[in-house]
Amino acid sequence: MAVAAPVHHGQHVDRLFLNRIGLWFFFFSESILFGLLLSARFYLLRLDIPFEVKEDGSLHQLVSQQLGLIITIILLLSSVTAFTAETAIEHDRRTLAKWMLFATIVLGLVFAAGVGFEWHEAEFEKRSAFGTVFFTMTGIHAAHVISGIGMLTLSWSMLLRGGFSSKSHWGISSTVMYWHFVDVVWVFFYPALYLVDKV
Amino acid sequence: MSTFQKGYVVAAILAVLTIVEYIFAISINDDHVRFAGLAIAGIAKAALIATYFMHIARAWQRNEAH
Repeated sequence: MAVAAPVHHGQHVDRLFLNRIGLWFFFFSESILFGLLLSARFYLLRLDIPFEVKEDGSLHQLVSQQLGLIITIILLLSSVTAFTAETAIEHDRRTLAKWMLFATIVLGLVFAAGVGFEWHEAEFEKRSAFGTVFFTMTGIHAAHVISGIGMLTLSWSMLLRGGFSSKSHWGISSTVMYWHFVDVVWVFFYPALYLVDKV
Repeated sequence: MSTFQKGYVVAAILAVLTIVEYIFAISINDDHVRFAGLAIAGIAKAALIATYFMHIARAWQRNEAH
């Protein structure tokens, strides 16, 4: 019967180093996808505008500025709770880490619901190029948010069952880093979709 | 300053930048100035998140186990 070789401290550190580098390469590859979506949005900047011309000649914005700002603040808040959860487990403050991971999951769900509400309220015509890029960008970002919520929930359940400590918490760190990456993407998507064009 | 405090200061700066970004965008009429301001704010926010929340400097460290 094969016996697993013991893992020495040096090997553990090297594996962590490789994990971190691998995660950053993953972020880099994801950045290419999101960068291409941003370039598609800016290509349309002068070709299609997110406004509807009303009968009296006035312009009506098709996306909700207030909702965009609110969901952005919610995602920013979720980054703060995620940061607190990671820092708490680094200091062996497990109870704080559990609550902060739970708060991050809830805030992520609220953000996803906000995007869903925006989709429901959006008044794009089917042939609208901006509408297409809006749904594509927010949809792919929302898919990342939902997968992040799944990973946060997995980390939270492992934490509830006694997993992780100040010496071994890569599972939480990597999940939280992924969550911050999703936040960074929104840092660029929010102004590109809501603020660049204005009436 | 503790790690917690440092993170909350960064979070406060991010919140202020987000509000300033919104007010700037709705009050500036020049398209180029608005784009430049939003791009600078976005890059600054991304740099803060990558540095203090994603710990980009740790990516190249070999001696820290967790």
